Amino acid sequence: MSASTKKESFPKIVALEVLEKNGINVEKLKELITKGVGAEFTTYYYYTILRMHCTGLEGEGIKEIVEDARIEDRNHFEAMVPRLYELGGGLPRDIRKFADQAGCPDAYLPDNWEDINSILKVLLEAEQCAIRSWGEVCDMTAGKDPRTYDIAQNIMQEEVEHEAWFIELLSKRPSGHFRRSFVGQSPHTRGQGGLIHL
Amino acid sequence: MLYRVCSSNDLTDNSMIVFKINNDNILVGRRNGRLFSCNNSCPHRGASLSKGDFNGDNIVCYMHGYEYNVFTGKLEHMKSWKKDNSWMEQSFEWRKSDDLTLYPVMEKDGAIYIEFGQDN
Repeated sequence: MSASTKKESFPKIVALEVLEKNGINVEKLKELITKGVGAEFTTYYYYTILRMHCTGLEGEGIKEIVEDARIEDRNHFEAMVPRLYELGGGLPRDIRKFADQAGCPDAYLPDNWEDINSILKVLLEAEQCAIRSWGEVCDMTAGKDPRTYDIAQNIMQEEVEHEAWFIELLSKRPSGHFRRSFVGQSPHTRGQGGLIHL
Repeated sequence: MLYRVCSSNDLTDNSMIVFKINNDNILVGRRNGRLFSCNNSCPHRGASLSKGDFNGDNIVCYMHGYEYNVFTGKLEHMKSWKKDNSWMEQSFEWRKSDDLTLYPVMEKDGAIYIEFGQDN
């Protein structure tokens, strides 16, 4: 049960009315967003553990990249949660339920974490799941809900970049990216939702 | 209520199409000559099943690899693109899933119909 108050206690919300007229299933959209922000929040938590285990010559070399992804995934949570409440949804009261309904599996520290490639594989899988998850929100809102779409597609852009980082580290394919200006820069989602401080 | 969703020729064998009925996305497909219809939302985490692939009589969700039998609706496999040993670390609450929501589907006079309404 979300923390949202009963809908009938509010006056008509035009911002929701237009979505329904555009053919958006608002309940389904809220469900997908809640799962998406759940995945971002749990990923932020697990990336903290993964980053702590990026040690040794190889590990220290990727620690900053893991940190960039970690803080930007937290930013994604911050960017989308205000939109969830605008839509009449809310976060589950209990964080355990929040984690259990997350759209992506837990990015656990692998047993063989001394092998840095094993950590990179976990990071890559988490980013790839996030791309699928926000892709669903983009597909549902494209041309119908520009506000949600705008946030989701900006999150998608950063998730795609994160995937590219980890693929490049794993496969050594040619790389188009350069380092962020600062940790948690979020070049695409900055200024959205709860990120007005960036 | 019975809805005509497409002509028989529109749905070739081993294909599937999503139709929107009353704000719900309904997946209608033909697998090895047999028709099926289900809600397009994966019962596990809500991904679009239409983006998945067939594996025998199962549809494989592209999000986490869960497999559901399109004729019985039953969850058949909880495998994933993650390795099995790490996948099983996930909490039971996270892994569990309902079965597919199926809808009656029929073919008549060159068209395909599904039964969709308050009962389902």
